[in-house]
Amino acid sequence: MSDRYPGYDVLAKRDGLSWNDKTREVVGRRLAVGIDDHRFFDEAEWGVLRALCDRILPQPPERERPVPVAALLDLRLREGPGDGNRDVALPPTDVAWKRALAALDAESRQAQGRGFPDLTPAEQDALLRDMQEGRLAGPAWQGMAPKTFFSARLLYDLVGLYYAHPAAWSEIGFGGPASPRGYVRMGFDGRDPWEAAEAAPGREDAARRENRHVR
Amino acid sequence: MTMALLPLTALDAVRPPPGGVPAGVARDPLGAGRRRVRNGLLAGLGGVAAAAALAWVLRPGPSRAAGTDDGAPDDGGSTVRAGRRLNRAAALLGASVLADSAVEHYRGSFHNPAMITPLLASGATIAASLHGSLDRRPRAHRFRDATYAAAALTGIAGTAFHLCNVTRRPGGLSWLNLFYGAPIGAPAAIGLAGLLGFAAERVRHGPDGPPSVAGLPAPQVLTVLSAAGILGTVAETALLHFRGAYHNPAMYLPVTIPPAAAAVLLRTLWHDGPGPRRAARLAMRATAGLGLLGTGFHAFGVHRNMGGWGNWRQNILNGPPLPAPPSYTALAFAGLAALALRDEVAGSGREQGDGR
Amino acid sequence: MSDERPGGGDPAEAPRACHGRAPDVFVPGGWVPMREHGEDEPVDFAIVGTGAGGGTLACKLAEAGFSVVAFDAGAYWRPLEDFASDEMEQQKLYWTDDRLCDGELPLKLGANNSGKAVGGSTVHFAMVSLRFRPDWFKSRSRLGYGADWPIDWREMWRYYAEVERALQISGPVTYPWGPKRPRYPRRPHELNAAAQVLAAGAEALGIGWSSTPLATLSSPHGKAPPCVYRGFCVTGCSTNAKQSVLNTWLPRALAAGAEIRDLAMVGRVETDRRGLATGVHYCREGRWRFQRALNVVVAGYAIETPRLLLNSASGLFPDGLANSSGLVGRNLMVQLNQAVWGRMDREVRSYKGPPSLALTEHWNYTDEGKDFHGGYCYMSQGPLPIVWARTLSGRGLWGEALMREMADYNHSVGLKMVGECLPDERNRVTLADETDRYGLRIPRITYGFGDNEKRMIRHALDFMGRALEAAGARGVWEQDDDTCHLNGTARMGEDPATSVVNADCRSWDVPNLWICDGSVFPTVGGVNPSLTIQAVACRTGDRIAALARRGEL
Repeated sequence: MSDRYPGYDVLAKRDGLSWNDKTREVVGRRLAVGIDDHRFFDEAEWGVLRALCDRILPQPPERERPVPVAALLDLRLREGPGDGNRDVALPPTDVAWKRALAALDAESRQAQGRGFPDLTPAEQDALLRDMQEGRLAGPAWQGMAPKTFFSARLLYDLVGLYYAHPAAWSEIGFGGPASPRGYVRMGFDGRDPWEAAEAAPGREDAARRENRHVR
Repeated sequence: MTMALLPLTALDAVRPPPGGVPAGVARDPLGAGRRRVRNGLLAGLGGVAAAAALAWVLRPGPSRAAGTDDGAPDDGGSTVRAGRRLNRAAALLGASVLADSAVEHYRGSFHNPAMITPLLASGATIAASLHGSLDRRPRAHRFRDATYAAAALTGIAGTAFHLCNVTRRPGGLSWLNLFYGAPIGAPAAIGLAGLLGFAAERVRHGPDGPPSVAGLPAPQVLTVLSAAGILGTVAETALLHFRGAYHNPAMYLPVTIPPAAAAVLLRTLWHDGPGPRRAARLAMRATAGLGLLGTGFHAFGVHRNMGGWGNWRQNILNGPPLPAPPSYTALAFAGLAALALRDEVAGSGREQGDGR
Repeated sequence: MSDERPGGGDPAEAPRACHGRAPDVFVPGGWVPMREHGEDEPVDFAIVGTGAGGGTLACKLAEAGFSVVAFDAGAYWRPLEDFASDEMEQQKLYWTDDRLCDGELPLKLGANNSGKAVGGSTVHFAMVSLRFRPDWFKSRSRLGYGADWPIDWREMWRYYAEVERALQISGPVTYPWGPKRPRYPRRPHELNAAAQVLAAGAEALGIGWSSTPLATLSSPHGKAPPCVYRGFCVTGCSTNAKQSVLNTWLPRALAAGAEIRDLAMVGRVETDRRGLATGVHYCREGRWRFQRALNVVVAGYAIETPRLLLNSASGLFPDGLANSSGLVGRNLMVQLNQAVWGRMDREVRSYKGPPSLALTEHWNYTDEGKDFHGGYCYMSQGPLPIVWARTLSGRGLWGEALMREMADYNHSVGLKMVGECLPDERNRVTLADETDRYGLRIPRITYGFGDNEKRMIRHALDFMGRALEAAGARGVWEQDDDTCHLNGTARMGEDPATSVVNADCRSWDVPNLWICDGSVFPTVGGVNPSLTIQAVACRTGDRIAALARRGEL
């Protein structure tokens, strides 16, 4: 799926008309986050979170600078705003995350005798599916509903953070920031020269050539 | 107007990407879509160039020897002057069409290969018209006639294409599709350029008697043609300025002055005389001036869109069309040519100083 | 970056509207003069909230010659310099303070249903500007459900027209549903591919459709350029093409002498022993202050309005202000926001243009073939990546399955409803025991659907699914968990026992206390509420001026 928009990099537009100063500033801050930056989570939680992010949002191994989903979450919990609603089944967001990571690790040790980061990907996925479907009920959850946490917090937060990153925008062929310049061609198959070109099967080279001119 | 086209031919291939060019990228051939778009533009320019070259090969022989400028007596008689004037009007209208269709069909990414046709047709019309404007011989030219006929046919075919595009959209023939579908009135302009040129050729047959087009007296035919062209353009302007909600009072100018001018011009057909003709001449000059003023207003309109001229790649396409208003100028020139022709025919058709 | 002058720092941290000037929203770094009012000098009106209700009313009252101070908890943004093209950054426009959600359907709040900014949620609304179906103003007596409004639709029709002019709505030349209305001030926008899908589906199923009346310019107006189709509408418009309260009513209000206090959280409406409001306590720059006022208008939308009224309880009003009916906080109504999604073979790229360029109100105006009360419209959609990814993860997708679906982003297309929920006293806003950083008790929102809502959802999902398939979409699936908009909780009516305010938005219990926002809606109808909120505010402004002339304030 990574060659759906071969050669397209939304960051090629960064210094052009599609990005205003504010956008350059806020996305620039996001891009400066390192893959291992964390202060909110302790080392044990961090290991679980990194392994978790790799399963929820698997990234192409050849990607030079993977989206630092875990670090972005750490940053957000450190200083970001809440999101305006809290299911009564969950404690406040920061508490809920720490508790969930600890509980996931505990469930893993309970079932497999190993911590979550040490499971195979298939075992990790199986455990996550148990969590998603409400089959976990260990004491480490302290009354918090794993199923609710999985959908309302875990997926909601991680997915949101991943798709806030330019690498994810490039991956799905999103035009990215667009101000002051917006778009002209709005109809079916309408593509402005500053948008990603999608590769027709077998015609990746043509799309790659067009995508080199996006700016 | 052709100036408006130049930045587009430069398009993106020429501009280096900000922040340096990765090795081996800039020299890559264009991608398919970009190639299609650029081919369209190149085809238009190529059409102009080829036609111009042809015009040069077929260039009228004795013209250089005959006189050095318009004011000098020539060998073709007054109707040739009128014919050449009409050639010039056709050239200007062709240029307006060339620039406008280039911009609009570039916007449409030339998704249908036929979208190159108006560029070729208008390019050829310009070349034939320039050729005609240099030609002082009192007879039609086969190459020009063929070109003008092709332009007229392109107008008809284009109208059919555009009508088909509009009715195929959801909603059919609705305000929304009239606003944003292919403009139904636009291809008529290239047809009109062809008709003007065709008339110019007929006028050149002058010496044997009063000039005529299809058996009708040429001055009158041209008067009606110019007025009808102006009124048709007014209809399209009215539609598009309605789309723009007449947000600037100046947007009322092209839907008030040209129709009034067309009426004054038509009035000379049954209320003839020096007074009405003078009024008609004045009205045509006002319309011609308005066409140029309009491009100025439209340039201001582009500036008012987000990002202004700095965002020209979007705003040339989404802002008010720069090449559209000069079609008023072209049609007004045709009206002036018609009036001059009538002066000359009335003045017993022999040499007399070129009035104005 | 930092500016030495007052109001030059981070607008989310330090107030901008002070020292006799307010931000000029049309000019980066620009200012306009602002009249200021002393705190000890009672102003004619203290207005809490500057959104569709409060901002509009502030303009109307200031233009009528009243002295006005309007408070907003949010920042005073200049869109041209402060708004990024970025979903995450622009969360700064949402009300993200903690709120507890419970009930059968714990609501998702924050993004698409509340705002915290000068201009309120109109700063990030989707600009859909629809009128109510006339019958909805009398849905109890004419249609047999809900409650009647104490206002006649013909009067509302005039105020709708006033708002449509003020916002320079771009809409179809003729609107296919409902009684005649004046032509929209601006022409409709071009349809994007997503909107063409809606149109094709509607035509295939034989129902009407229309380009959507939108509060974004299709041609230049004043200092605002027309829309550039950048598609970030619901995260804030950085070009000013969107006609929000921030760049329409409020500049007018300032010019007419109103004062706006940004970053000013009102925590309590004070009342005296006679049972009259005397002013508001508000927190600004870390200090609690008190503004005296002859009248107080509460315009905080359907959660903050009841919260403030309940938090303002006093000896005389132990159950909260204006609450003798016990209805403050009750009859909260969201709107149904379910959707169908599918994949087109051709590229749609629905991130371009305003998200909802086409709609159908067929099921608002047709009553045959329904097994439920009320109506719904549905619209084309243009979710940006985060919203889209969360929509997919809401289906339970993650890992490779999610990435695969996301790869089809540019081919995805959907239809989403805005459906009428019925008023139900069990759906309500109460106060939780937890407090926020101001020490104010936070709201608890309890919500659940009734059978009517469930039947409407089933009907809409079936119909929209057929429409989407008829338009050529494949793999159609249903998103059944979303809601939008918040209304009710301080309904207007003709009887003090069954309503909180009268038709003029004046509270029955405290005669100089007014409520002017979506809270006063007795019913919500099947259309987005912002136009109606503004129309009610315009009417309220005119009514207050008329009452003042008669000495009845």
